[in-house]
Amino acid sequence: MFKKSRMISILLAAFLVVAVVSGLSAQEQITLKVLNYLDLTSPGTEREIKEIWEAFEKNNPDIKIEREDLFGEPFHQKLEAYAAAGNLPDVIYMWPGARSATLHDKKLVKDLAPFLGDMADEFVPAAVDPNNQRGKYLAMIPIGITATHMLYVNQEMLNDLGLNMPETYDELKTMVPKLQEAGKDVVIMGAQDDWVIQSVLFSMIVGRLAGDAFIDKILAGEAKFTDEPFVSTLKFYQQLFDDGVLTPDIVMTPYGTSPALFAAGEAPFTIDGDWRVGAFLTDPATGEALIPPEKQDNILLTIFPAIPDEVTPNSTSMVLATGFGMSAAIPDNSPKEEAAWRLISWLVSPEVQKIRLETGAAIPSRKGITAEGLEPLVEQRLRFYEKYVGTYVLDDVLPPEAYMPINVGLQEIALGMSTPEDVAAKVQKGYEEWIAGLEE
Amino acid sequence: MVKPSRHSTKSEERRAYWLLVLPAVVIYWAVTAFPLFFSIILSLTNYSGGPIFAFDFKFVGLNNYIRMFKDPYFWISLKNNAYIILVSVFGQIPLGFIFAYAIFRKLVRFGDFFQTMIYLPAVISPIVVGILWQTFFSPYGPLTKIVQHFKPGWRSTFLLDPKRAIIPVLFVILWMYTGTYLIIFLANLQKFEPSILEAAKIDGATEFQTLWYVILPALSGVIVTTVILAISGSLKSFNLIFAMTGGNPARRTSVLALYMYDTAFRGAPNYPMASAISMFIVMLSIILIIFTKAVENRYGGRE
Repeated sequence: MFKKSRMISILLAAFLVVAVVSGLSAQEQITLKVLNYLDLTSPGTEREIKEIWEAFEKNNPDIKIEREDLFGEPFHQKLEAYAAAGNLPDVIYMWPGARSATLHDKKLVKDLAPFLGDMADEFVPAAVDPNNQRGKYLAMIPIGITATHMLYVNQEMLNDLGLNMPETYDELKTMVPKLQEAGKDVVIMGAQDDWVIQSVLFSMIVGRLAGDAFIDKILAGEAKFTDEPFVSTLKFYQQLFDDGVLTPDIVMTPYGTSPALFAAGEAPFTIDGDWRVGAFLTDPATGEALIPPEKQDNILLTIFPAIPDEVTPNSTSMVLATGFGMSAAIPDNSPKEEAAWRLISWLVSPEVQKIRLETGAAIPSRKGITAEGLEPLVEQRLRFYEKYVGTYVLDDVLPPEAYMPINVGLQEIALGMSTPEDVAAKVQKGYEEWIAGLEE
Repeated sequence: MVKPSRHSTKSEERRAYWLLVLPAVVIYWAVTAFPLFFSIILSLTNYSGGPIFAFDFKFVGLNNYIRMFKDPYFWISLKNNAYIILVSVFGQIPLGFIFAYAIFRKLVRFGDFFQTMIYLPAVISPIVVGILWQTFFSPYGPLTKIVQHFKPGWRSTFLLDPKRAIIPVLFVILWMYTGTYLIIFLANLQKFEPSILEAAKIDGATEFQTLWYVILPALSGVIVTTVILAISGSLKSFNLIFAMTGGNPARRTSVLALYMYDTAFRGAPNYPMASAISMFIVMLSIILIIFTKAVENRYGGRE
C-alpha cells in the first residue's frame, strides 16, 4: 500500500515537473508579429513559405511567428491602418522610399545600423547606405535591387513576323501597322491599378528625358513640374498612344493578368517591373510554367528603345528593393528585440537570398550570392543590372501628394481626358500643398 | 414575512436596469458612438499619420470639408453614388417586386427555379462577383472573345469610356442585388390572405386593379423599408467596385466609400479628410432616409 502510494506520488511529482518545465519553456517563447508582402499566386510562394518562414520557426523554437501576407495596394493600406492605430507589427516589410513614407517620416521603425555592425561589409554598399533611404537612416535592410522598368520581348514572335528588336523609338513605331495587321497588340500592360504606369513606364521616361538632376531641382525648389522638361515627358507618354504603341485598353487590364496575356502571345512586348520574371518561371508545386524553361531563351529582358532627346540614355528606373524593418515600439535590449533581429538577419541571410534568387523573387543585395540550375530568365535577369544606368522611381522619391496626381493623370492622358499640361499643373499643385503642409 | 421597502425595490429596479442596459450601452459606445464622435473630431484636425492617441495634431476648423468640396473626385464619386441609388431604388426594387409578384401570382412556370436563380448572385461574395465581371468586361476577357467570333477585331471597351465606365458596374449591381428584394417582397406577399385576393376577383377586379388597389397599398411599409435598405446599401457600396474596377479608369467609377478609403489609405494617407468624407456619407444617409419617410407619410397607404 505504502509502495503504491509512493509510486503515485513520484509519478505525480514527475508529471508536475514536466508540466512546470514545459510551461516555463512556453513562457519563454517570444511571439513576433510580421507584416509580410507576398504574392500568393507566384510560383515561388511555396518555397518562400516552407524554406524561409517555416524553416526559421523550426530552427528557432523559442520564436513563434504570426505572419500576415498581403500583396499590392491592400498591403500599403493595412500598413497605414496599423500605423494610425499605433499597433505596428514587430517586423515589417517596407520600401526604402516614399512608398513607406509614414514609417520613415515618423521614425516608426528602428535604425538597424547598430544591429548590422560589421556585417554591412557583406552587402552591396548602396544597399546599406542610409542616404538611400527616405529617413536618412537604415530603417530597413534591402533584400535585393529592383528595376521597376523592364521590357520583356517575345523574340520568336518578332522573327515570325519578320521584325527585329527595335533599337530606337522610331523603329518601334514603324512596327505598329504590321503588328496590328497580324491582330497583335504592340505592348501589353496590366495598368488598371493606377500605380502601374508611373512605376514601370513613366519613371523610366522621366529618367531618360528629364533626368534625375531635374527631379533634384524640383525637390530643392529650383524647378517646377510645370517646366518644360517634365511636361515633355508627359507629352512623350501621350505620343505612345497617338502612335499606337500603347492602347487605352491597358488601363482596364488587371495587373495580375498581363503575364498570362504576354505568354499567350497577345503582343511581342510587355512592360513591367523585374519582379515579374518570377511569374513566368516553373511552379515547383505543379511543375508548370507560363513560359517553360526551354522556351525562355526566346524572351529577351531589356529596356525601352532609345527615345529622341534623352538626357540619360540607356537607363531604367531602379530602386533599392524592399526589405524588412523593426518596429520602434519594441523595447531596446529586450528579448523581443533580439528575436526580431534574429528574424531580420535570417531574412537577409545568404541562404534566403539564394532561395529568392532561384525563385526569381529578388536579385541579391549581398555580395557573391550565386546559385546553380537557374532558369534562363533568372540568369538573364542577373546580367540585366550591369548593362543599364539606374534613374529614380517617382513614387520612391516624390511625396504621395505629388505622385498620386501623376498616377491618376497618366490614366487620364491614356483615355484622352487630360493634356500633359493639365496633369503637370495638378502635380505641381499637389506638391505645393505638401510643401505648405510641412511649413504649417 | 418581511415586506420589502419601497426604497429597496426601487434601488433593485435601478440595479437591474443598469445590469441589463449597461452591456449594450458599453458595446454601442465602443463600436458605434465613440468612433463616430472621434471621426467628427478627426475631421476637424490636421492629423498626419502615426499613433492617433499621441494627439499630435491641431484643429483646423472646416478646412477638410472645404478641401473635400473643392476636389473634383469627390463630385465624381457623389455622382456615381447617385447613379447607384437610382439603379437600386428604381431598378432593383421594381424588378424585385415584379419578379416576386409574377412568382407569387404564378404568372410564370418554374417559380422556385427563377426565385433561386435570381437570388443566387446575392449569396456569392461581392469580391468574387467583382473579379468575375472585371474579367468578363476586360478588353481581353470572355466578352471580347465571344463577340470576336461574330465580329473579328472587336474589343470590349465598356470600362474604358470615362463617361460610360460606370454602366457595367450599375448593371452588375442590378444583377447582384435584385434577388434580395425579390425575397423580401415574396415573403411579404405570401402573408396575404388568399381570401382577400379572391374577394377582389369576385368583385370583378382585374389583375392590375388587384395589384394597384389591394396589394401595393398594403405593401407601402415594406416598400419604404426596401428603399431605406437600398439607399443605405448604395451609400456603402464598396467591395464590389473595389474588386471590379478599383474606382478606375482614372477614378471615374469611384464612389464615396471608395473615395474615403483611397483618401485614408492610398498614397498620402489623409485621415482627417477621410473622416470628413465619412461624416458627409452619414449626413447624406440621414437626409435621404428622412426624405423617404416623409414621402411615405405623405403618399403611403395603410398596411
